[in-house]
Amino acid sequence: MRDAPLSESVWTLLNDALELYRDSRPATDRLRHHMSRFGEPLRIAVAGPWQSGKSTLVNALVGDEVAPIEAPGGQAVFAWYQDGTEPHAMAYPAGAELPVTRSAQGLRVDIGRWDPAPVNDVVVTWPTRALRHATVIDTPPVPSACDKILRDADAVLYLTRDGRGTDLHVLEWLQDGMVAKAAPVNALMVLSRADETGGGRIDALLAARQVARRHQRDPRIGGLCLGVVAVGGLVALAGRVLTDTDFAALATLAGAPRTDVESYLLSTDRFTGAEFPAPVGVEARRALLDRLGIFGVRLAMTLIRTGSDTRAKLAAELVRRSGLTELREAVSRCFIERRDALRARSALAALESVVVAEPRSGSDALLAELERVLAGAHDFRELRLLASLQGQRVAFEKDLTVEARRLIGENGTGLAARLGVDQRATASELWRLSSAALGRWQEHSEDPLLDSDQRRAAAVVVRTCEGLLYSLS
Amino acid sequence: MTPTWLNVLDETARVCAAHGRTDLIQWVKQKRAQLVDPKLRVLVVGEPKQGKSQLVNALINAPVCPVGDGLTTAIPTVVRHADEPTATIVEESGAAPVPIDDVAARISTAVSRRTDSAEYAEIGVPRGLLAAGLVLIDTPGADGDNLPAAGSSVAAPARADVVIMVTDATRELSVTEVNLLLHVVRSHPKVVVALTKTDIAPHWRLVAERNRQHLASAGIAAPLVPVSATLRLAAARTNDKAINAESGFPDLVARLKQYLAAKNDVLAPTAVGVLTATVIEQLAAPLRAELSAKDSEEPMARLYEAQRTLDELRRCSTRWQNTLNDEMTDLMSDIEYDLRERTRQIMRKVDDAFDAADPLRTWEDYQAWLEKSLTEVAESNFAWLLQRCDWISGRVADHFVRYEADVVPEWQVNMPDLTRHIGTIDQPNIERFTAAQKVFTGLRGSYGGLLMFGLATTLAGMPLINPISLGAGALFGGKTIRDEGKSLLRRRQALAKNATQRHIDDFFLRLNKECKDTARWVQRILRDHYTSVTEQLHDAIVHSLRNAKQAADADAAERNKRQMEIQQQMRRLATLYEQAQALTVRPEGPAVLEPVA
Repeated sequence: MRDAPLSESVWTLLNDALELYRDSRPATDRLRHHMSRFGEPLRIAVAGPWQSGKSTLVNALVGDEVAPIEAPGGQAVFAWYQDGTEPHAMAYPAGAELPVTRSAQGLRVDIGRWDPAPVNDVVVTWPTRALRHATVIDTPPVPSACDKILRDADAVLYLTRDGRGTDLHVLEWLQDGMVAKAAPVNALMVLSRADETGGGRIDALLAARQVARRHQRDPRIGGLCLGVVAVGGLVALAGRVLTDTDFAALATLAGAPRTDVESYLLSTDRFTGAEFPAPVGVEARRALLDRLGIFGVRLAMTLIRTGSDTRAKLAAELVRRSGLTELREAVSRCFIERRDALRARSALAALESVVVAEPRSGSDALLAELERVLAGAHDFRELRLLASLQGQRVAFEKDLTVEARRLIGENGTGLAARLGVDQRATASELWRLSSAALGRWQEHSEDPLLDSDQRRAAAVVVRTCEGLLYSLS
Repeated sequence: MTPTWLNVLDETARVCAAHGRTDLIQWVKQKRAQLVDPKLRVLVVGEPKQGKSQLVNALINAPVCPVGDGLTTAIPTVVRHADEPTATIVEESGAAPVPIDDVAARISTAVSRRTDSAEYAEIGVPRGLLAAGLVLIDTPGADGDNLPAAGSSVAAPARADVVIMVTDATRELSVTEVNLLLHVVRSHPKVVVALTKTDIAPHWRLVAERNRQHLASAGIAAPLVPVSATLRLAAARTNDKAINAESGFPDLVARLKQYLAAKNDVLAPTAVGVLTATVIEQLAAPLRAELSAKDSEEPMARLYEAQRTLDELRRCSTRWQNTLNDEMTDLMSDIEYDLRERTRQIMRKVDDAFDAADPLRTWEDYQAWLEKSLTEVAESNFAWLLQRCDWISGRVADHFVRYEADVVPEWQVNMPDLTRHIGTIDQPNIERFTAAQKVFTGLRGSYGGLLMFGLATTLAGMPLINPISLGAGALFGGKTIRDEGKSLLRRRQALAKNATQRHIDDFFLRLNKECKDTARWVQRILRDHYTSVTEQLHDAIVHSLRNAKQAADADAAERNKRQMEIQQQMRRLATLYEQAQALTVRPEGPAVLEPVA
């Protein structure tokens, strides 16, 4: 037996709520807004404390320098980046178009002269593949922006320098409400300034990756988000927008005798100092430092010396090392592929807040129905289990863990991807594999040798297998 | 010669003792020991991952504090001089030496959570800087708004002479960091802000400038020293003086050395000034509160309460007397009316009865009936009287409910023998219609008839005595007898009614008197009883009033005395405060501790 798809039951629920709240303007506005969002791309907010590297990460994700957009007077502005044919920018709530200038690396939105009305949101349309499935939102620092993030975003990339307690409190705060507590599946934690780990040593990114893995195993963090990824935002961005001039300067530096340059790489002051031995001008060195950071410069030089000797190779290697690839994979796996579930989750959360804000006769029934839908949402359970398995908070034997992760959609939510076979596999083949998996996992779910967490996890996999068979029949 | 600050400190301790504040004495003693000790305790604080441990390592050029990716200092680490490298973990139960290689694992945790029971670690290393008298204390990061532990903990700011606040150069000071600084500068004359990681931040000069502005706008007079531990350690490896100078550490070290040298002259007096001010504030606060507190309400409140009760009792006394009088007057008129009403009903019945009946024949029955009726009247009337009296007694007692006294008096009136008021009704003197009278009356009536009809019949030629005249005579005689009998009966009836009327009047008079007497008796009993109750209550209240007044007087006297005492104590505190102020102010003049070149 399988319930109606999540989005359908949520749609029904929203219609019921519209009927119940037809006389309340704010409630219907919110509900209609969420219904219209079902057809839109997923909204991913890049949130985090002050100076945690939000705009750098947005740029790295978009692949161009489009952020930050700074309003005059330090006003907090939400910058929305969506896919489109022509670059342009609109300011809301006034709804006026802002002048934009396109530069070599990206775009500049001229908001400085926009004065008469306050600006809350700037929607930037920017033609790029990276935004095809998701709208990325650059947000003001938390915690002041928390409310709006909760209201507007379907998923959150939560940036932190080191995953300290204060940051976790904010993350907890972002998971407010019954819906969010039942399904904390909309957040990824990003250690965003990974290149500064350990004072910018050459293996800083590797070390940061270790830290991320440790954080993911921590049940306190694992319970709040789907995963922890370390990203050297500056290095990633540099990799995506590396110019030939930058590369030429780096190549010259790398070509200089190592012993000469070494001591001048100790600090930024020494790097930009006048008595630098290699034939690269002070301005060029400053530009490199701004672009890559001292860590990025060291890394790029090492990479050039070890074989990444063209701009394209170096750029690819920088992106790979920065952790951006992992982040994009995680975003794709946890957010983009589950976008229906996430949008449904946002709608449920909005519905919950409407019902809580305006209780009336009949709203209790609505809340009960909401709870029922939430309890039946298998997508959320899959995501939670995936996060636990990845964080090793639940573990089977190695092969079993791998199979479980594949079945619940680690490599993709398509039938073939879940069953680990070629896309061209026949229906009967798929049927055979699914029923075999179902039988196996049913046994695991009742295996007395496993502990209760493992059995519960196995039951989720069983449910997934049932769903596979259902969709095949 | 003992320095002034020491005298002030001892005086402070004495004042604390005089106020019985052992907690403060403890604190003062601890501070004294710390200040007398020539060593300079340097506390390194800051948010997590700012490079605190690395700063300590770089200061002494030795990897004593564990640093690394994701490693967080979990317990405070005290680094002091020792000829041989030593390490000790101090737990609640006591100190235990551990191998120097293992200590790092105990100090740090991979994920910031404490699992160890250790309180702090103490590490000794042979270093010149430490031998000169510096003690460095590395602390776990202050996360969020929780300020460093207060009290006796080794990492408490109160136990440090100088505080180094560490913030990294990749960003400006955050609000929580400024708050932490504000908290620290309140108790510490010398705070240094170390801007670390200048080696990886290209724009550290801008950040440093901004941070100085932040400090200035927050009113924090702390110098900001940009440092780079990486450069310092690199310089130590290559023994490169230039790089060492670039690292900024020589400046920091010189500053610390200068603080160390000036401890006795500058730091200690200021610290004592601050400490004494704090202590005096703590001592003065309760005194001030006591002074400014309104006159203690309690005795006066009791006095007012007693007065109010007395007034209330007076009002109550008037009320119950009124009630008693009114009710009794009502009662008497009601009872009289009731009695009259009942007797009138009897009278009406008697009238009706004697309109028809002949007293001559029914007198015996009538007499019994009347007696019975009157007895009933008397009994029900009297019973009602008693009932009303009871009720009145209750009404009056209601006035005393608030005094919670069981005041309903015990009085008992037995139903008296009411029959004696009835007496016996005498049969009135009734003429009887005797046979002789009847014959005589009959003859007198028949004479007229005989004569009338005899004369008429003589005209017809009959003799005077003839059958017709004889018949008419008999007829007339009979009618006369009947008429006479009827009038006699009416006379008898009137007589009987009159007799009854008189009898009932007599009865009414007697019974009414009896009732009124009883009512008055009851009234008197009630009045006497409640008067005595009122008097008792009055006595009690007056007694408590007197007590309350005495208490209030005593309290006022006590307060006056206490106020004098407090004022005296306050004067002493003020003197001490002035001394402490003098300590704090003096070193501000010449720039003894201004930044070194």
